[in-house]
Amino acid sequence: MIFLRPVQRFIAYWKPSVLPLLIVLTIWELAARWVLALRGVAFPTPWTTFVRLGALVGGDTLSGHPLGVHILNSLRRWIMGFSIAATLGIGYGLLAGRLRGVEKATAGIPQLLLLVPGLAWIPVAILLFGIGETATVFMIAIAAVAPVAINVLSGIKTVDIQLVRAARMMGARRHILFFHVLIPAALPSLISGLRIGLGTGWRVLVAAEMVVGTGSGLGYAIIQARWTLDYPASFACIAVICAIGLLVERGLLGPLERRTRSRWILEEGPR
Amino acid sequence: MIRFENVSFAFAANGTAPVTVLDKVDLTVGEGEFVCVLGPSGCGKTTLLNLAAGFLFPSRGRVLFDDAVVVAPGPERGVVFQEAALFPWLSVLKNVEFGLKRKGLKGSQLKQTAFAYLESLGLGAHAHKLPVALSGGMRQRVAIARVLALEPRVLLMDEPFSALDANSRERLQDELLRLWVTNRRTVIYVTHSVEEAAYLADRVVVMGSTVEGGIFADMAVPLTRPRSRTDDGLLAMKARLRAVLATQPCCIQPLISPRAM
Repeated sequence: MIFLRPVQRFIAYWKPSVLPLLIVLTIWELAARWVLALRGVAFPTPWTTFVRLGALVGGDTLSGHPLGVHILNSLRRWIMGFSIAATLGIGYGLLAGRLRGVEKATAGIPQLLLLVPGLAWIPVAILLFGIGETATVFMIAIAAVAPVAINVLSGIKTVDIQLVRAARMMGARRHILFFHVLIPAALPSLISGLRIGLGTGWRVLVAAEMVVGTGSGLGYAIIQARWTLDYPASFACIAVICAIGLLVERGLLGPLERRTRSRWILEEGPR
Repeated sequence: MIRFENVSFAFAANGTAPVTVLDKVDLTVGEGEFVCVLGPSGCGKTTLLNLAAGFLFPSRGRVLFDDAVVVAPGPERGVVFQEAALFPWLSVLKNVEFGLKRKGLKGSQLKQTAFAYLESLGLGAHAHKLPVALSGGMRQRVAIARVLALEPRVLLMDEPFSALDANSRERLQDELLRLWVTNRRTVIYVTHSVEEAAYLADRVVVMGSTVEGGIFADMAVPLTRPRSRTDDGLLAMKARLRAVLATQPCCIQPLISPRAM
């Protein structure tokens, strides 16, 4: 039954997530009933949310767009903002890891950026780019750049000294040492940085769409559905956001990170 | 060939008072000699090796290789580390090719040379594996093949087999001796094991507390090769080394090492 292998692997991989999901759904259901009983407010239950999600997938529009358009627009902004963050973050990390002067001159700046909550960039984004697409992409980029930069730099700085010594003993100098030893050795940290940056970017994206007024996107849809009292649709969008985040994190970057780590790090476990 | 002249080494870790690891050490290692540096943990053996390799530099005095002051590491002084220190992202073959490429080898010549060194250590079948797929003993073999491929004038070995199980350790010791006997390369071999020193070396340099000045005994091993592990002469040599070590206090230095590129 060789063709069942991927299916089995898929089930084995997602199985640990089933119980936590059930717990979340139970708490949600209880909260919904509680709110209804105490305050008389129709708090969407998992089921009503699911039904609304089904209708949205089936073609219902939200703020004039089908759900698919909101998702695609959000994904596009995410990818754009994250690409900028990844390019700048990796570029900075490598440059600062290579040139002591750059590291010294910029020491603490990425850490400072990390301390600024994503939404605090809203006024900056609006002043710089006005309301709309570019402002959103800017916010994602600026929020995601710090974790990438910090991880790449620390990856370069914490490379095992014995590897560096081994390379120098074998005659590696300057750029060979940097490109053929330091960068590959820092790759696991780089991937961690990308993973964290991607998550940060996604959270900021949804929040930014709510405020910066992009006319479409999941965050925008959530906030718009509120005005029309279509709370189940808001909740359905939140569920979609979680699902996409989980899919990218657990389905793509998590395995990639584990694979490089298990390959890179030799000290794991007795042999 | 390698000469330590009045070498002292001190370092200060994060603002603490400087720790003197080596104090006025004089040592000359001649061409083709197999010298073991024996001593308890923390006595500065590894520091001595790192100075010869050019990873560290003396606070006072100088380290000479062929009458030239050591200013940087280089392939003429091959180092085998305690942990194999292979590049985990490269296959075994590519790990050996790394140093050969720096020497300017290319194409099929590069591949064949690297493969020949792997074969000489019985690793031919593992050439395309990643280091993570090998046992500790095999990784250390790769590390030795990688260094031999550089054709170094001297081998600097820092407790290379101390992390291995007894069986692999003995087999690798014998393999090292076999390779050494064929081309008589100079070896400086750091160890804390009396057994290892007596079995491998022509000459054992015993290190102890810096108060006593670093090296406090320099003994020739009057045994012919090949040696047997159960030979009476070897047992007597081990007893002599033990007696010398016993005159010194154990670990007298904090177990921290200077981190410098």
